[in-house]
Amino acid sequence: MALKFLVVDDSVTMRRIVANSLKAIGYESFVEAGDGREALSKLSADDSINFVITDWNMPEVSGLELVKSIRSTDKFAKLPILMVTTRGLKEDIMEALQARVNNYIVKPFTPQILREKIDQILASS
Amino acid sequence: MDNNTNMDQVFEKLGELKSFFIFGQKIVPVIQSIIDFMRDVVPLMEYVNNSIQDSANKIPKAASQIHSVTNATEMATSEILDIVDSMSMDLSKIKNELADLKNGFFNQRVTLENFGNQNPNLNGQFAALQSGLCIDDLETKVVAMEEIVKKIEGDSNNITLSLQVQDITSQQLASVNHLIQSVQKRLAKLINDLSRKGPLDLNELESEDEDNKSSTFNPDARYDKSFEKQQLANELFDSGQKTSQDEIDKLFSK
Repeated sequence: MALKFLVVDDSVTMRRIVANSLKAIGYESFVEAGDGREALSKLSADDSINFVITDWNMPEVSGLELVKSIRSTDKFAKLPILMVTTRGLKEDIMEALQARVNNYIVKPFTPQILREKIDQILASS
Repeated sequence: MDNNTNMDQVFEKLGELKSFFIFGQKIVPVIQSIIDFMRDVVPLMEYVNNSIQDSANKIPKAASQIHSVTNATEMATSEILDIVDSMSMDLSKIKNELADLKNGFFNQRVTLENFGNQNPNLNGQFAALQSGLCIDDLETKVVAMEEIVKKIEGDSNNITLSLQVQDITSQQLASVNHLIQSVQKRLAKLINDLSRKGPLDLNELESEDEDNKSSTFNPDARYDKSFEKQQLANELFDSGQKTSQDEIDKLFSK
């Protein structure tokens, strides 16, 4: 199955870095969103998106709120979600786990870590 | 008898009056020193008030400068990423060219061997031709260049990794901005209490504060390449995936 990623981050720099890292590990297809609200609208408009990579701290709708919104709908209940964030406290990670994020990356990250996490998510789904 | 009693009372009252005057004599210098102190302290309070007002007026500029720093670093980071992208594209072209060269050398070697097999009488000249073409040496150089290209690719990946510092520092700066705005709000209230002139619009400050309540930054963001936090995330997610969602929810409801 060809993967199409939705990369959600309010930082243009981080969106580019995630996109470049995806290209470096062989994934070419992705769309971008600057916050959770834009992400939700892109998700509902584009059925071909089948993987979400999201930041946590964002304006309007945060990454965690985005995850909760996605998980609250039957359509996206099993959509793979990878959180990429600066939040590395145990409570934060547990909160993401409870919100049913599939896996978690703490910034700064390498393309290798990104590949590892994507592979783990795909293997378990 | 009554007159004597009345006179005693008069003398008693006069004694009290005398005590009062003696007390007054003692207290007057104290009151004078309090008046002197107030005379000195009022200009000082005005100075403090003006200083606080001056500082409060400078805060929006400081906040704006921090915002400018964030924008400038984001632009600079974007320019560096453009260069890294351009380098990656060039490296990709070089890799393709080197692969073509390797294929070319392989084809040359095969062609040369076929030529040698078809012309067994050229023994000495064939060896000279093989030596003159230096295929092995050139191939070794191509392999060495491929290694250098790999190293440059690794370096550019490391540059990309380091550029994530921009996002992390921008969150730290946003946190500082939030603190500055909180100080500004408190100073504005203090100025209002001191002067009642209302130099700053408190409602505006309230709304700015509301904006910052949306979780747009992580005040604990750190640029830490030790990957310890990643290991913690790995452990929690590994153990979490072995635990049912109900068990995780129960853990949180405690």
